[in-house]
Amino acid sequence: MTWNLMDKCCDKCWHTLEYPCRNYIRCRIEGPLCHDDPDCRRKREYRIREILYGKTGFKIKVPMASCTIAAGAQEVYKAVLDEVKSRGINADVTISGCMGMCYMDPWIELSKTGMPSAIYANVKPGQVSKIISEYLGGDVSSAYALRNHTGKAKGEDKVPLLEELPQWKNQVRWVSRNCGIVNPESIEEYIALGGYRGLDKALKMKPEEIIEIIKKAGLRGRGGAGFPTWLKWKIAREQPGDVKYVIMNADEGDPGAFMNRLLAESDPHRVLEGLIIAAYTIGASKGFIFVRAEKPLMAERLSKAVEQARKYGLLGKNILGRGFDFDVEVILSAGAFVCGEETALIAAIEGRTRPRQRPPYPATKGLWGKPTIINNVETLAHVATIMAEGWEKFASMGTEKTKGTKMFCVTGAVQRTGAYEVPVGTTIKKLVEEIAGGPGEGRRIKAVQIGGPSGGCVPASLLTTPIDYETLQKAGAIMGSGGIVVIDDKSCMVDVAKFFTSFTVAESCGKCFPCRIGMKILYDTLTRITEGKGREEDLEILRELGEIVRSASLCALGGTAPNPVLSTLRYFEDEYLAHVRDKKCPAKVCRNLVEYWINPEKCIGCGTCKQNCPSNAISGEPGKKHVIDVSKCIRCGQCFIVCPVGAVEKR
Amino acid sequence: MVKVIVNGKEVEVSEGSVVLDAIKKTGYSVPTLCFFKGVYNEAACRMCLVELPNGKLVPSCAYPVSDGLKITTDSERLRKTRRMVLELILAVHKMKCYQCARKGGFCLLLDFAKEFGVEGIPVCAECPLHGEDCLLVKGEPCLGFLTVAGCGSPCTREGTPCFGCRGPVTREDVIESAVKRFIEHGVDLRDLHSRMKLFWSSFPQFKHVFDLVLKYEKKYMGEKK
Amino acid sequence: MQTATLLQLKHGQTKLVDLKEVVSFVRSIVECYGGKRQYLMRMMQEIQKHYGYLPREALEELSKQTGIPLVDVLNIATFYHQFTLEPPGYYIIWVCMGTACHLKGNADNYDILKNILGLDNHSKTTKDGLFSLEKARCFGACSLAPVIMITSRDGSERYLHGHVDPLGLRKIVAKYRSKAIKKIKEKKGGRK
Repeated sequence: MTWNLMDKCCDKCWHTLEYPCRNYIRCRIEGPLCHDDPDCRRKREYRIREILYGKTGFKIKVPMASCTIAAGAQEVYKAVLDEVKSRGINADVTISGCMGMCYMDPWIELSKTGMPSAIYANVKPGQVSKIISEYLGGDVSSAYALRNHTGKAKGEDKVPLLEELPQWKNQVRWVSRNCGIVNPESIEEYIALGGYRGLDKALKMKPEEIIEIIKKAGLRGRGGAGFPTWLKWKIAREQPGDVKYVIMNADEGDPGAFMNRLLAESDPHRVLEGLIIAAYTIGASKGFIFVRAEKPLMAERLSKAVEQARKYGLLGKNILGRGFDFDVEVILSAGAFVCGEETALIAAIEGRTRPRQRPPYPATKGLWGKPTIINNVETLAHVATIMAEGWEKFASMGTEKTKGTKMFCVTGAVQRTGAYEVPVGTTIKKLVEEIAGGPGEGRRIKAVQIGGPSGGCVPASLLTTPIDYETLQKAGAIMGSGGIVVIDDKSCMVDVAKFFTSFTVAESCGKCFPCRIGMKILYDTLTRITEGKGREEDLEILRELGEIVRSASLCALGGTAPNPVLSTLRYFEDEYLAHVRDKKCPAKVCRNLVEYWINPEKCIGCGTCKQNCPSNAISGEPGKKHVIDVSKCIRCGQCFIVCPVGAVEKR
Repeated sequence: MVKVIVNGKEVEVSEGSVVLDAIKKTGYSVPTLCFFKGVYNEAACRMCLVELPNGKLVPSCAYPVSDGLKITTDSERLRKTRRMVLELILAVHKMKCYQCARKGGFCLLLDFAKEFGVEGIPVCAECPLHGEDCLLVKGEPCLGFLTVAGCGSPCTREGTPCFGCRGPVTREDVIESAVKRFIEHGVDLRDLHSRMKLFWSSFPQFKHVFDLVLKYEKKYMGEKK
Repeated sequence: MQTATLLQLKHGQTKLVDLKEVVSFVRSIVECYGGKRQYLMRMMQEIQKHYGYLPREALEELSKQTGIPLVDVLNIATFYHQFTLEPPGYYIIWVCMGTACHLKGNADNYDILKNILGLDNHSKTTKDGLFSLEKARCFGACSLAPVIMITSRDGSERYLHGHVDPLGLRKIVAKYRSKAIKKIKEKKGGRK
């Protein structure tokens, strides 16, 4: 066992779990504080350097998060290990979290003393050997980006610096600063990078002072509604009684949003730190982390972080000698979108289902009737960062009403999908086109869907809108958790609205009528429109019913569920009208409204379409051009799907 | 005690009570469906919505009172919302009034449907005749199952089969089950048709009802054979 | 061992669960969690992990031993998507229904998979018990859209396929079909 940064430096250190030292965290980095011993100091400094740059001076980092694993990081990791072993290279192979730039998954980072730290993108296991020998030979020309320049390696001038890339330059890595850098499974590394400093500072303050700092920072909940965090904490703090709870809402369910997963997988200690600060502030002694079942790695990382924190006395009794007891339990959700809603989340922990009417808000009456605060993963990560870095810097970013930064996941029709952190108030255009690279050659952005199933579509003409809670609401969308799906001209807006409605219909808990039945009727109406059976009155029904569902529903799910329909109706009425009046789908997506035909120039006469046609609408001899009989065609789209050369086209 | 202002009228209620108590104390009323004091106050039906000064709609049966709370129990918007919610509820209601335990009285849905002018509940819901006494069971061509309620069913009470003077329920599933029952009980279809024509044939908007009736007659007659 | 017995199950038959085993297994879980209502969901997750689904017998036993009404247990079992009351196939194919995947055609892929597996609207599991088809919410792998994930029933194997296209689906299904048959044979052989 090597000496651990968290361990005692020598026998003079009197810190134990029973009688913890108040300066434990500061002492880890700044060297022994209670006694002066150059040996201990050197030992500590040496260890920190070892953690940051590796024991051998050559560090290979492979990211291990759900997204990179899905892209094949595990195989790459194995290949790296094999390569290092078989060639007898003296190297530290470690894992890290995801950098947020998912388009280049899986990437690896090589850093050797005297060489620039190089990032290689889209690595296949077979390329690992070549990359390592090239790098060791002093050549970085095939790297994707460099973290720094040394001027010693070959090809350095050809590879851009990471911080010069538009997708990095335009970001402000505030809360995601450690993502892709720190080893998420090591508390030591987090502390070496300055972690748990915020907790250290917070525990030396009175809870009221912490609330004051968060208030000055102007932090608003990053889960979607944008409720001021300090106010929530203050209400909970002022409630009588000594049993209170804090809950971390890691039940991230919006399709297209994964910043919470990324944060919790890449830097779990930061969010845990935020949770402990929150608990100290309101005076809770028990916390829960509620994790989505579909994201098992996130639960694993968070559980590991909790275990480590417990081992070193950052959770448990008398934390850092301040007489504050707190422990955390990780709970795996069983998968229901509505559990992202506060009261439904509480119900799930209590072993019940479905949300309830608010008020009383959880801050006054929550889990088992006790005051409870529920904060989103990103909010808690912000809390930890604000406490560590001071509120001034945070408050200097953002807009007048909303301070700080926010992570956004940009997916859909863009070249560089990923999660990016920008100051609030950045325009959508900058985020989508400069950072995420736009839709690519010859394609046009039609709309941008913000906020998942409870958000709305913002048309291309409004792309210069700065992203803020208020401005987005005015545009008919919501910030939500921050998922941005870019829709290009290949998608039909009615179909998009139908997709989100089908999502909420399936996820509605079924308690209140407007959401349960109203959304179903909205969905049925949309289905009718996409099938070409729509009437013009239907648009009025959609509008009216959408308004009613929005205002009369019990919880936030129903209250925002009609947003996709209402916003598409507002900005893309012409597409709806094309569906109901001309019975045409302009984007050629709705199956029943397009006509299939076989392009004779492409058809190779294989007969696959003919075999697969359920209505015998295709005729033609083997080896000759096939033809679709439009009168018999039922527009199932099978021929379009099975054609090996793409000769079946829509028109 | 806290002071609540209901439609401009001040009223004092004890702390910890809900808005509905204050409303009742002032003598105003809001429709409630799912609320059952002390047993169920989950605010699921959304009929008892009231409006706050900031424009939010909240259910009065579950919203706690606070000092100086101002609420409005009646407005154009509220009426529209309640009506729409009721329509939604009725849209999925099974409408099997002939076998409902509430038949002949205390059907809240029926009362509200009358109040808000939502059509869709058949005369059967009001008709006090049960089981063997039902005119349809006796084989008489009673249109009660197909006709919009609200008249108080004076004819069927007196033993006269319903003529459908209030117009038909136009929902397809109701028509289907009605036709099914007509055929089950061996009602003379020609008699039935002439009865339907008596009041409905002069309205072109009811034409599709006839079409549907004929369609399902064909279907169930075929099945019977 | 238990998985092996379940493999021979035909669709809809659930009686093959050994009642004695259920009683003792549920007892061990209830003892582990103290039978508290707070841990109901976790106890059910354990049961699901053990059997691959929630057998009716186990739920009844759970209700009996913890004193929680069966209706509440079933409420949770039917409300949350993770729980299933039917035995799933050897491999479960999850089709991601996230926004990015939808825009790139995963709804069509779902229909195609349904066609390939020969499922109708009412069944989720193939007759031979090899595959189940499920819709999943976003995996957070949106950069690989459209995505399907294939997991084995006991959760020991997880494969994610990104950028799937209609033509590739047949190959994927065929690959896993032969894999599943091979594994089942191995297990049967092991038992003999």
